[in-house]
Amino acid sequence: MRFAVRLLFSLVPLLAITAFAQDGPTYEDILDGFNDPERWLTYSGDYSGRRHSPLTQINPENVGRLRPIWTFQTGTTTRGRGFETTPLVDDGALYVTGSNNYAWAIDARSGRAFWSYRRNLPDDLTYGASAPVNRGFGMLGNQLFMVTLDAHLLSMDRRTGDILWDVQLADYRIGYAATLAPLVIDNKVIVGISGGEYATRGFIDAYAPVTGERLWRFNTIPGPGEPGSETWPDDPEVLARGGGGTWMNGSYDPELNLIYWGVGNPNPDYFGDLRPGDNLYSNSIVALDADRGDLRWHYQFTPHDINDWDSNHMPVLVDTEWQGEPRKLVMMANRNGFFYVLDRTDGELLLGEPFTATTWAREIGPDGRPVILNDGSRGCLPDPWGSTNFMPPSYNPKLELFYVTARETCATYVPEEPDYTPGQASFGGVVFIEPDGAGALRALDIHTGELRWEFTYPSPTFGGVMTTASGLVFAGDHEGNFMAFDAATGENLWHYQTGSRIWGAAATTFMLDGRQHVLIPSGTTLTAFALPD
Amino acid sequence: MAGGALFRAQCATCHGADGKGILSIDAPDLTLMWGRDGVNDEYVFNVVRDGIPGSIMPPHGFGETEIWMLVAFMASLVEFGGDADFMGDAGNGRRLFAENCAECHRAGEEAGGVLGPSLTGITLRRAPDALVQSIREPSGRIERGFRPVTVETGIGESVTGVLKNEDAFSLQLVTEDQSLRAFHRIGVRQITRLGESLMPVFSEADLDADELADLLAFLHGNQ
Repeated sequence: MRFAVRLLFSLVPLLAITAFAQDGPTYEDILDGFNDPERWLTYSGDYSGRRHSPLTQINPENVGRLRPIWTFQTGTTTRGRGFETTPLVDDGALYVTGSNNYAWAIDARSGRAFWSYRRNLPDDLTYGASAPVNRGFGMLGNQLFMVTLDAHLLSMDRRTGDILWDVQLADYRIGYAATLAPLVIDNKVIVGISGGEYATRGFIDAYAPVTGERLWRFNTIPGPGEPGSETWPDDPEVLARGGGGTWMNGSYDPELNLIYWGVGNPNPDYFGDLRPGDNLYSNSIVALDADRGDLRWHYQFTPHDINDWDSNHMPVLVDTEWQGEPRKLVMMANRNGFFYVLDRTDGELLLGEPFTATTWAREIGPDGRPVILNDGSRGCLPDPWGSTNFMPPSYNPKLELFYVTARETCATYVPEEPDYTPGQASFGGVVFIEPDGAGALRALDIHTGELRWEFTYPSPTFGGVMTTASGLVFAGDHEGNFMAFDAATGENLWHYQTGSRIWGAAATTFMLDGRQHVLIPSGTTLTAFALPD
Repeated sequence: MAGGALFRAQCATCHGADGKGILSIDAPDLTLMWGRDGVNDEYVFNVVRDGIPGSIMPPHGFGETEIWMLVAFMASLVEFGGDADFMGDAGNGRRLFAENCAECHRAGEEAGGVLGPSLTGITLRRAPDALVQSIREPSGRIERGFRPVTVETGIGESVTGVLKNEDAFSLQLVTEDQSLRAFHRIGVRQITRLGESLMPVFSEADLDADELADLLAFLHGNQ
């Protein structure tokens, strides 16, 4: 009894302090991006998609002394895929999603969990997401937002992992699923959907954070008679199963109040004869009005895609001088092998240059369309995983370099008319992939698309990239190395073997107790690094 | 839908149209499945139906007949040419194996080296013609994990072996003298990937057709 009383007394001041911090981040805090060095509040750290931290404690001179300080073991594997999450960081706690819809709140100092969550997934789960992965939470106040493999959106209390609400995005039994990290903006939670390999129709949704009420939906494949439907056969059935998944996060420009989001492949993936036309808005970037979900502009990277080159990449927003004029830009390195720069106010194409050795096309014509040299009849196109993929790229504004993980692969596509069975994939053909591909971390000059430097990997790689203002690039590779490079020269300065492929994930960084921490997920582990005391 | 069409529609994206897997996504080579402990048609049926929980391999709601057709198709992908007769003299084959192969290969209980792949159960996975081809022309096709390299270090040492693994910073070899040896690239001056297999060519003069038949009979009986 005496013990209990003493415990109560000792807890009172502690509770008072934490209660103050327990309100959690506001929209203004997320808008503030990297200004609070102890936070990482949204997938890319801020709305720009640049994944460029202003932190400088770890720099090219001392990064060689970077050491692991703890490892968190998830106990849930995704054999054949990755631990793709970006942890969110606030007030010394990490909020982390894992494979198979596990999730945790973790003490950032010790690597120990406050709570863990596991969703009971249905026995008849379809695999619209191709793999049971998840890319992270969204956060607002004390609420976390997470999408699920059975295509729901959940809100949970970040202090307990308790579910606050649970809404269905779409019917998983058809082939819908969800894996991305929700984008939280002012009074809206924005999510997309997976399932483009199935007879599904993609969308981007906005939900009210407190109630879970749906505020708007943008369908990535137009309905009959709607703008864009002229790029499809005049057949409601074809449109209804047109694909166009939106399974990777988008970015946001609060001034223009526009959301930028990539759209995936049309369905069936490889068999184009069933869907003559450009098939909008597949393989495009769309700019949507954040309040209403209306389409402001779009640009299609791969018209009438027959190679599964989804454009589900993080759009990177940059304000800089372009040929003498200050401009608002959006950049994407695409699965089709091109690096693109567009004006993000109106979608005007400013640059499109190849960043891999693809023989598919080497230039974009005056009409903004790729000049296709090899439709596959000469063999050796980029494989269906593409010249890069959803793994985050990064941008250093001082050097004006865009860092991307490039994949050099060679594949032959053989289309075949698919059968449509609900809950079964309809790729529409097969692909022969040459076994000996390669990978590279590449630094591209944003003004010309020219390669400034590269670091080569022995295999096609799925690791993402983060940069810091101290002039470092952090990247992961398919062999499990987590590495640091000099941002200007590409010199490798440090590496650590994590023991499993770094797949789809990119690093995060934050300050805690005066020390800069760096996190990387890999396999079943999340490892934290810092300089020695 | 026949097994082949179903395979192409539902399996080939990960396992490859030839069933040989795709290394960069850890999709296994299905042609090497049979002949492993516990792997039979029923096992494969169950994996197709139930998937492998926690992995990228999903369960499939196909009908039973369709799954059996898939199993039959996958079995047909194995390069084993069917129920070939192994009519040679296994006893003589055993002697030939000890003299010509055991320095680098194992087979079943038979002691042997580790520079080349284990030949245990090889006749369940490779057709006799393909095995003869590999013996006559070992450099024609060298599997990953057995590709020969010579590594020259910064201190003038030269080591030849087969490359088991590599990444951007290191190489892992089994050397010609059959020991494990790893190198940090930072200490390596040159890596030469050799086109020729470390396995010698066995011509008609070295092993004639009858002797090959004996060897295959020994390998077939030594699972």
